[in-house]
Amino acid sequence: MEVVQIQRRLVDYTKSLFMEGFLDGQFLQLQQLQDESNPDFVVEVVSLFFDDSEKLLNELTIALDQPNVDFKKVDGHVHQLKGSSSSIGAQRVKNVCIAFRNFCEVQNIEGCLTCLQQVKQEYYLVKNKLETLFRLEQQIVASGGSIPMIEMGF
Amino acid sequence: MASALPSGDMGAAEANSGNGGQMQKKPFTFNEIVLRNRLTALVVDGDNFCRLLEQGILQAYGLETQSVNNGDAAVELIASGAKFDLILIDMLLPILDGVEATRRIRAMGMRCKMLGVTACSGERERQAFLAAGVDVFVEKPLGPEILIPVLRELDGQV
Repeated sequence: MEVVQIQRRLVDYTKSLFMEGFLDGQFLQLQQLQDESNPDFVVEVVSLFFDDSEKLLNELTIALDQPNVDFKKVDGHVHQLKGSSSSIGAQRVKNVCIAFRNFCEVQNIEGCLTCLQQVKQEYYLVKNKLETLFRLEQQIVASGGSIPMIEMGF
Repeated sequence: MASALPSGDMGAAEANSGNGGQMQKKPFTFNEIVLRNRLTALVVDGDNFCRLLEQGILQAYGLETQSVNNGDAAVELIASGAKFDLILIDMLLPILDGVEATRRIRAMGMRCKMLGVTACSGERERQAFLAAGVDVFVEKPLGPEILIPVLRELDGQV
């Protein structure tokens, strides 16, 4: 596939992620941080987000599997996930965290378990989307092209 | 004046307008503000990812940054004589939380601009953080619409 075609595909794919609510404007700010002096910044911070998030999801699974659930502990983990997902622009993950925290506040175990399932689903969806996006970028760079700017703003 | 500012979801809201992603506003760049002075900032956040990201954002604007991952370390750093033009501090921190850390930093006479940058969104949390001494309560993520006016003010461009 020619580099122009891959660039077009990347632009369309990125726009679709915004249209479908997977990413928001915060992700654009993240991309702006990447330059010649820091060419892998986005991949690095996103990888860190993936590592942190998967640890948090494991912690949440364990915490909600206890006979006596410590809702304060659960809320702490969700709070952290809300912060990091909003900071990276993973809007749908953040939105589930908001609902999740509400269920923690009223100590509704069923609600929390449903939200855990939803947040895992949204997390793995956005992870898959971002990995696809990075693969497209790598293909462009490997073909000698440059990553196109997306025409979006805050 | 202390205030609570909304989080920056404008990109997504506009992206969902169904117009194929073509926006009315010009693309954001870190050249929106060019600092004339050397500004320093401290980032206090217990989450590795958020700390790295906030430092990266401030550095992209041209600030020199340091970071710590808990409130106690922040207080110790200030107590040791370190001075900053700007402090970004999270609310939920290990060892010493952000509210108490802010209170202690202000009690030491530190009058720099402090932004409480947190995933907390309740009015009770907002009031507590402001009462402790942050100038602005920011619900994560920290976006340019919040940071740029602050930096302009600190840089004497206002």
